[in-house]
Amino acid sequence: MATIVATENLSKRYGKRTVVEDLNLYIPEGEIYGFLGPNGSGKSTTMKMLLSLVQPSSGGVEIMGKPMDRSTRREHLGRIGSLIESPPGYGHLTGRENMRIIQRLLGLNDQQIEFAIATVRMQGQMDKKVRNYSLGMKQRLGIAMALAREPKLLILDEPTNGLDPAGIEEMRELLRTLADGGVTVMVSSHLLGEIDKSATMLGILSQGRMIFQGTRDELFSAATPDVLIRCDDPSRASELLANSADSRVDQGEVRVTELSERATAGVIAALVSERIAIYEVRRDEQTLEQVFMGLTEGGGL
Amino acid sequence: MNARAIMNEFAKMRHLRVGLFVALLAISVALMSMYNAFGSGAFERLDDPNDYAWKTLFGGLGMGAALIAPILVAVIASRQVEIEHTGNGWLSSATSGLTPGQMCRAKFVSLGVLVAAATAVWGVVIVGFGTLIGISTPAPLGRWAAYIGALIIINLAVLAFHILLSAKVENQLVCIGVGLVGMFLAIFGELFPAWLAHLVPWGYYPLTVQSDYVGEVPVYFDLPYLSVIGLAVVGGALFLFVTGRFDRQEA
Repeated sequence: MATIVATENLSKRYGKRTVVEDLNLYIPEGEIYGFLGPNGSGKSTTMKMLLSLVQPSSGGVEIMGKPMDRSTRREHLGRIGSLIESPPGYGHLTGRENMRIIQRLLGLNDQQIEFAIATVRMQGQMDKKVRNYSLGMKQRLGIAMALAREPKLLILDEPTNGLDPAGIEEMRELLRTLADGGVTVMVSSHLLGEIDKSATMLGILSQGRMIFQGTRDELFSAATPDVLIRCDDPSRASELLANSADSRVDQGEVRVTELSERATAGVIAALVSERIAIYEVRRDEQTLEQVFMGLTEGGGL
Repeated sequence: MNARAIMNEFAKMRHLRVGLFVALLAISVALMSMYNAFGSGAFERLDDPNDYAWKTLFGGLGMGAALIAPILVAVIASRQVEIEHTGNGWLSSATSGLTPGQMCRAKFVSLGVLVAAATAVWGVVIVGFGTLIGISTPAPLGRWAAYIGALIIINLAVLAFHILLSAKVENQLVCIGVGLVGMFLAIFGELFPAWLAHLVPWGYYPLTVQSDYVGEVPVYFDLPYLSVIGLAVVGGALFLFVTGRFDRQEA
């Protein structure tokens, strides 16, 4: 699959403060790329560097196989739709008047405008002034503005911020519709649950560094879930393992962390040799949210 | 110059009452000039061979421009720029390839056309008024044209300054406050040394005044052409320099 966005050791420093460090990001064409990280992890700065709104301190960005910088920005931006920070829109104008401004600026035709409005299902709201829109409507208008140019790549910075659950679900649906239509979508969030259902690929940023990049399944397998052992004497079992593994008693079971498959076999053998009756051995079921929290709190894999 | 961006600036003026403020600028200064002529007894001396009535109209225009233009131009610039702060317009336009500096230049051209037109209206209305009330000496059209030309340059310099200020300072109350300070500088600029008046755009209102009383008699003053041309050149160069820096600034 062709890569639509690629960065090479992308870094941004403000004085001595490093905001983004050696980022090697790649987004395959046609995917929904969920760009995750806690607030302040460098997501917005990265997205701005992808759009050449912020100049990298080192490293580079390639979009659709061509370098993205000040000299090529104008050419690229005709094919990249984006929604960065708060949704755009002049409050004193109607939705339609706002769309006309984008239409005139980019030299778009009426069909492109109407298609973008229909895609975000805003046909009935276009004659209202934007100051009377709800946040969800403003977000959708912002996406319509980004979509009107029929982009190959759509970059959305926290589009679900401030939306209610219904609005978030609508946004997910919209992202899926766009991806089905062949648009590559990069969407950032600080909440995994908001985008993990729609994202086909994930990149996780922590303190400016990419700590994970891959599919959801790869993310699960990258984090080792705890081993839970149900036995006849959990306290004694935990004491026996204290020297060789990180273990504790948790709700009547022995919980052992960071245990590889080979180490698990060794632990079970040790307990059996001490005549402890083993009833059940299993991996703890982790939600993606827990994996994400583990990665970002721990600072990396 | 990006013609589409300029057209968009005119489109953004809808519902902003920019037209109302431009009309106020045109009418209020002209009215003040006429009121000054009326209060100075111009109607009793319409046939004065020394242009008494024309001189009072010139004097009134100078006073009206200094009193009204700094604040109304600040309001006009502020309204057109504030929408970019509240509507995330700087960033949104940048993602469509229109940088903040380009947008400021487009705002200057679109608002500049209106402000220049309003200033030209002062000349047309006042000369028309003078002719209508029957001033017997011919209108000094050359002097009027030069003075209105100078006022257009001064108003545009104030406009350019306020566009940059409003773009840089989000709190528009600060910008209007600076406009008020400008008004005081324009009114009381005669009290400052000439070199000081040359340093700020509002200082050129008193510098270019065409008529004032010397004792009991109103007299004409020469227009400081070099100063006005200097303002146009230096002001224009500074505006291009600062907006050029806006183009390169990071979002």
